[in-house]
Amino acid sequence: MSNGQLSVSTDKQIAGVLGYFDDPHSLIQGMSRVRDANYESFDAFTPYPVHGLDAAQGLKRSPLPYITFIFGVTGFLCALALQYWTSAVDWPLNVGGKPFYSWPAFVPVMFELTVLLAGLSTVAGMFALNKLPNITKKSFDPALTNNRFAIIIEAPAKVEDEVESAKSNFKPFGESEAADFLKKAGASEVRTVYQEGWF
Amino acid sequence: MHTAHSHEIRNPGKLEVSSGIRNLFIALAAVGVLVMIVAWTQDPKRFWPAFVHNHFYFLSLAVGGLFFAVIQWVTSAMWSAPIRRLAESFTSFLPWILVSTVVLYFGLKDIYLWTDATKVQGDLILEGKAGYLSPNFFMIRLVVAVLIWIVFAKVMIGNSIRQDETKDPVFTAKNRTWGPLFLILFAVSFTFTSFDLLMSLDPYWFSTMFGVYCFAGLFYSTLALLAIVTIAMKRKGMLEGILNENHLHDLGKFMFAFTVFWAYIGFSQYMLIWYANMPEETGYFIHRLTPSWKPVSAFLMFGKFFVPFFILLPRGNKRSEKVLWNVAWFMLVAQWIDILWLVQPEFYSAPKLSWIDLGTFLGFAGLFGLSVIRFLSKHTVVAVGDPKLPESVFHHHQ
Repeated sequence: MSNGQLSVSTDKQIAGVLGYFDDPHSLIQGMSRVRDANYESFDAFTPYPVHGLDAAQGLKRSPLPYITFIFGVTGFLCALALQYWTSAVDWPLNVGGKPFYSWPAFVPVMFELTVLLAGLSTVAGMFALNKLPNITKKSFDPALTNNRFAIIIEAPAKVEDEVESAKSNFKPFGESEAADFLKKAGASEVRTVYQEGWF
Repeated sequence: MHTAHSHEIRNPGKLEVSSGIRNLFIALAAVGVLVMIVAWTQDPKRFWPAFVHNHFYFLSLAVGGLFFAVIQWVTSAMWSAPIRRLAESFTSFLPWILVSTVVLYFGLKDIYLWTDATKVQGDLILEGKAGYLSPNFFMIRLVVAVLIWIVFAKVMIGNSIRQDETKDPVFTAKNRTWGPLFLILFAVSFTFTSFDLLMSLDPYWFSTMFGVYCFAGLFYSTLALLAIVTIAMKRKGMLEGILNENHLHDLGKFMFAFTVFWAYIGFSQYMLIWYANMPEETGYFIHRLTPSWKPVSAFLMFGKFFVPFFILLPRGNKRSEKVLWNVAWFMLVAQWIDILWLVQPEFYSAPKLSWIDLGTFLGFAGLFGLSVIRFLSKHTVVAVGDPKLPESVFHHHQ
C-alpha cells in the first residue's frame, strides 16, 4: 500500500478523505454526523459487521428480500408445471395406481426448486446490488479488514461533476474541509486516499 | 452493548390484575368445571374425547413454556431475556396437568379401545400390544412424564426466580448444566405421552413421526401464546423500556420458523404413508379425508400453514404488535383444531362442536389463566437478575 500523503503530486485521481476511528461506538457517532452533513457520497469500512451502522449511515432497506421472494415463487411454479406436464400430459405413467396428477409426490421437488432459485437469486442479487466482483477499486488500507474502523468522504468521480454537484443540494467536497470535518466528528487520524485499480 | 453500563434497567415489578379480570377467570374455570362434571355424568362417551383433546392442548402449552425457557439457557440466548419469565409462567399449570392426568384414569374405558379385554382377546395385533397398552402401565407412563416436567420446572424455574434477588450468574450456569438433560428426557417423555394419549386412540395405527408432529404443534402454539402474553404485558406498560419491536421481530421469526417446521413434519408423515399405501397405515388418513373431515384437513394445510406463513413472511408484519397479536390468536385456534382433528375422527364421522367441547375448553383455559396470573403476581414479570438482560435491552435498542 502506497502512502497517499507522500504521493500528492502524482497523476492519481483523488478518491476521498479517509478518517480513522478508534472503536465502533465513535465510528457510529461520527457516521451520523457525516450523514447529517449531507455529503454526496460517503461510506464506512469495518473489519466486521457493526450493529447500528446502517441506521447511522442512513442506508435504506435492501430490495434483496423481494428478489428472493419472486424467484422462490418462480421456482415453486416451474417445478409444479414441469412435473404436471411430464407426468400427466406428455408421458402419463401409472405409478402404483395413483392418479397421473398426484400433487403430494410433486411437493419435494417443488420445495427443492423453491429453495434453489430463492437461494441462488439471493446470492446473485447480493452480488449485483453490491456491484461485485470489484476489480476497479483496491482496498485503501489492509488494516481496515483487520482491526481499524474508518469513514471515507468521497470526492466526486469526474471533474465535470464538480460543476454539477455545486448546483445540487449536496455539501460540496473539499479535501481540507472534509479532513477537518472528520477530525471534528471524532476521527483520530485522517488521510487523503487515491483511486487505485487492481491491475 | 456499550451503553449498558450507564443505564439501570427499570424493575417492572409483579403483575397487578384487577379483581374483575381475576373474577372472570374464576368464573370461566368454575363454569367449565361444572360443565365437565355434568357432561361426565350425562354423556361420558361424548365428554371423554373432549377431555383428552383439551388435556393434551393445555399440557402442550404448559410444558412448552418450560421447553422454551430451557432452550434459552442451553443456547445462552440473549434476545429472549425480557420475555423468558413469561414463558416460565406457563409451567404453573403443570400441577393441574397432573390432576387431569389422574382424572383421565376414570375415562380410559370410554376412549381407548384397547382397555376392552373382550376386544383384545383373539385380535392378534391388540394381543401383541397388550403388554404395552395396559391401563396400569399406561397411567404410570403418563404420570412419570408429568412428574419429570414438574421436577425440572421446580428446580430450573426456581433457580431463575432466586436469581431475581441475588443477580448471581451461577443460577444461569446451573440451568445450562441441567438443560440438556431436560431436553433429552423431554423428547422421550413427550413422545411417549403423545403416542399414549393420541396415537393409541387408534391402536392399530402407528407412525414413528407422530411424536415430533405433536412436538411441532406444541412449540407452534407455545410461541403463539408467548407472543400474546408478551403483547398483553406490553400493552399494560409492564415492559416499558425493556421490550421493543426488535424483540417482537425475533419472536415473529421463531413463530414463522415453527409454522414451516410443523408443515414440514405434517407433510412428511402424510406423504410417506400416502406413497407406500400400506393398508395398516393408510386407514388413519382415510378417516380424515372423508367428505365431512376433508374441510378440516384442508384447513390444516391452508389455515394452519399458509395463512401464518404469508402473514409472517414480510419483515414489517413481524415487527408489528397488532399483526403479531392477531396472527398469534389465529395460530392458537389452529392448533386447537389440529388436536381436534387428531382426536375426533376416531369417534365421529363428522366434526362435532357442542357445549361439551366449549365447556371443557373453558374449564382448562380458566384454570390455565388463573395459574399464569397467580405466578406473575408472585414473581416479577421479567427475569431482572438475568445477566443477559442489560445486553438484550440495549443491544436491541437500535
